[in-house]
Order: sequence, then structure tokens, then C-alpha cells
Amino acid sequence: MQGRGERRGILEVTRSAEVPLAAHALEAVKGAVEDSGLAMADIDGLATYPELPATGHAVVDGVTIVSVNCMMTMLKLPNLAWHVQVETVNIGGAVQQAVNALLAGVCKYAVVWRAMHNPKGTYQNLPGTYAQGATQFTAPYGFGGPGQGMAVAYTRWLEQHHQSREKMATLAVTQRRHSHMNPHAYFCGQPLTREDYLSSRMVAYPFCLYDCDIPVQGAVAVVLTTADRARDLRPRPAYIAGYGQRLAFEVAGRIGSLSSYMEGGRSSSRLTWERSGFSPKDVDVAQIYDGFSASVIYGLESYGFCKEGEALDFIQDGRMELDGELPLNTFGGSLGTGRIHGLWHIIEGALQASGRAGERQVKDVNVSFVGASAPIVQGTTFIFVKEPY
Amino acid sequence: MSDWSKVTRPIPVPNEWTKPFWDAAKRGVLALQRCQTCKHFQHPPYATCVQLHGDRSRVRARQRQGRDLRLHDHVPRGRQAIRLGRFPTRASSWSSTTRREPCWPANLLEAPYTDAKVGRRVEVVFEPLNDDFTLPQFRLARDAK
Repeated sequence: MQGRGERRGILEVTRSAEVPLAAHALEAVKGAVEDSGLAMADIDGLATYPELPATGHAVVDGVTIVSVNCMMTMLKLPNLAWHVQVETVNIGGAVQQAVNALLAGVCKYAVVWRAMHNPKGTYQNLPGTYAQGATQFTAPYGFGGPGQGMAVAYTRWLEQHHQSREKMATLAVTQRRHSHMNPHAYFCGQPLTREDYLSSRMVAYPFCLYDCDIPVQGAVAVVLTTADRARDLRPRPAYIAGYGQRLAFEVAGRIGSLSSYMEGGRSSSRLTWERSGFSPKDVDVAQIYDGFSASVIYGLESYGFCKEGEALDFIQDGRMELDGELPLNTFGGSLGTGRIHGLWHIIEGALQASGRAGERQVKDVNVSFVGASAPIVQGTTFIFVKEPY
Repeated sequence: MSDWSKVTRPIPVPNEWTKPFWDAAKRGVLALQRCQTCKHFQHPPYATCVQLHGDRSRVRARQRQGRDLRLHDHVPRGRQAIRLGRFPTRASSWSSTTRREPCWPANLLEAPYTDAKVGRRVEVVFEPLNDDFTLPQFRLARDAK
């Protein structure tokens, strides 16, 4: 696979929406383009995944989502040649589609953004009086948001492997500490102790408050181009050595089982390892999606970083620290930055590979792994490398 | 017409594929769809077999009353769910064991969540929501181990 260059975006995260989401997305896109040294007129490709994951709220383009059409309207790019708005593979799929478009030669410089809105009121708004469609089999039983569904699989994992949820405190506390080195993170400067985690209220057992990323409004963006073009730009790029996406199917309308998570992660990472030629042992730093903490556990195991049932032990003893055996979610993860989905994981993976992660830079990074979404329905994985591949 | 104000759970709105399920539940029967081609049971109900998605994969409602039902995963209710749904505080939930089996979330009644263990047998309890709808629920089977 040929290498692709990558440039990072600038981002802004707030708890509530003071300005329309489109303004956040536009700021992120402009920042990414400026960071790359390109002019906006050079951008000829656009891609995003615009979903609003909050249920029971209106989808309003420019306010609660930012579609490709909305971005085209704002940017009025004179040389636009390609765009896509993905649905089945989350934001990682948008990045992968941009890579494909660049390799196909249908565009030269593509921007991918992810903009997330935090609606007023309850984020997961259960149906009030009536439950229609698929919710008629979940809402009457009290299942409203994805966290409750994911908690089912996590409970299964804990019981199957005779593990205790208390060990997850290490993940939450370490990622919070990492977020203090990320000035854009929502929780930058707000410490979290193990005691805070263990005493926090339960949201959906075994998920407590700090197992769940906080809903925010914000946006991130990244510029992608081919390796030969990236060499002429500033600053130093990262190179994509391979990617994969989930291939295992999931039955429609079902709450995902633990086996679905594991099969999804294995199928996506297998492609990534095969295409890149690397293995988990080669990875110097990893970003694994953590909208809910258990996704990291499924990821570590299904991607091959440790054996099944051992992930909660794997992250102990400093192993996920910046100087540990596998530095993990070095930008704070979604638990530290807020709910922006997986593009921030992808950007951090690229920053670590290019040596541009600043205070949180891991030493001597050559191979940087990213699992950009929960390894179930929409799982995607990437390998970034320091040198052209 | 029911007195909807007395109902605390969202009321299902059936469509042509889910109506047989709710009609059967009202009669005290747990009726799952079964593909006429590959013979597997599925839930929630859908227009075609979700394994085959072919035009020959017709599905029919078949009765399956409390046999071979076992707890797979369980999630004791957290504060959020109780507040939003106003459900029994001792309830927990389950889903089936593999992705090829029928599966749906539900509440385990009449037991603390600590009794909800993977593999335990459960039996169906039919809980009226109002005059029109009955919700299939579950409790530990009398001889549950």
C-alpha cells in the first residue's frame, strides 16, 4: 500500500453550544488547512460522518450536524472535485474513503472533519409516551442509549473472565492525566483520582460516570494528501501504512453482544496488520476509541495487544503511561477530551507518528496504531508510521 | 381506550411485522419469528430473515414459551435508567448468548440483580402495560441453578 500524508486540525470543545456547530466545524477545517501550509483553494476533497448520536433530538444541518453539503456551502471551494458522507463505518470510514480518493487521483488534498453537538436537556432522550420502530423492543424495558447496551456486553466480559470493574479506574485516571497535556481537552487541568472513580455514581452498571465520555460541542479536522505531495508541505507529516474496517456482520436491531465486539475488532485489525506488514509487537503507541471505557478493553484484546480476558490487567502497573510498554490514548481519549468520536484518536495517532504531539510525545515512535471507533458495527483501524511507507 | 396516563413505560407502536408479537404477548404467548428457509428464530421481528435477507426467507411467528431461555448478560439498572423509565429498582436485563439467536433486552423481575448470573434459566412473565399491550418479562425459573 502506498503511503498517504496527513495533517492535523485545530479544534475547540465546549460543554454547551454558544455558536452553531457549523462555526465550530469551519474553525476546525480552517485550522487544519492553515496548519498544513495549504490555501483553502487547494482543497478539492471533503469527507465526514455527520451523525448526531444523541437520540430523541432534531437533526438540523449546521446546528446539530455538519454535513458535506453544509461545509460546501460555507467554503465555496473553487476546485472541489470529490466529496463523500459515510454512514456505515463512522468517521474512520470517511478518512479511509479520502485515502481511496487520493490514491485514485480524483482529488489532491482532502479535508475530513467530525463535528459533534451536545443538545440541551437529556442527551439520550427516551421516547415519552410511545416507542416506535426498533425502540418498541428496547424503550419499554428502559434501554435508551448506547451505554446501556454496551454495559450488557461489559458485564458479560467481567463475569466470563472473573474480573472486577474497579481495575478500570486505572484507565480513567491515566487518561485524565494524559488530557492535562492536551490544552484542547475538555478535562485539561481537572484532576481525577482513583477514589473519585470508585465513588462516582453508577450510570448503567458496570459503567459509572467516569466510564462514559462527556457530551460536548466541538469539532476536529485533518488534511490528507498523497505522500509525494506531503513532502512539499509544512510541517512534518505522518504516513498511513494500512487500514481496516469491520467485516463481521451484526443482526439488525440487536444490542451488540460481547462476541460481536470481539469479532468486529479481529476482522478490522487483521486487515490492518496484513496491509501494513506490522504486528501488535511493533506498535510504539496506541489510540483506542473509548466513548465507553470497555471499548478499550475489547480493542486491546481483539486487536491482539493482549489475550482475551487480560486487558484490565494489561493496563495496570504503568503499562499505558507515556513511558510504559504501550502508551495508550495519549491525548486523553474521549474520556479526557469529550465526545468527538474517533477522528481525534486518528489525529493523535498521526501526531505521535510525526513527532508533533508536544508535551505528551512518546519517545522514538515509529509505528502508531489507532482503533477509531468501538470495534462493533462501525469499527475501523489504522497504522501510522514516521517514514514514507 | 386505555387510560394512558397510568402507564409509566413507553407504549410500543406496532407495525405489520411486529404486531403478531404484541398480539401474542397479550394472549400470554411469547411468539418469535422463524425463518421458513434457514429455520432460525429471530427477534426483534423484521420483514425478512435478517440472516438471509432473501425474498424466499419468509418469517412466521412461532410460539416459544419459556423453553431454553437463559440469562446471558445482565445489567442492573443505574440511576439514569430508573429516573428516565421509572422502572422497578430491582430489575435487571438480559440478552441472548450469540448473535445468531433471538435477543432482546428485558427486566429480570422478583430477584436482586446479584442473582442474575449468566446461564441461569428464566421463565416468561407477562406484565400488562395497559388494556392493549402486554410486556413479556422474565424471572428466574423455579428450578433455576
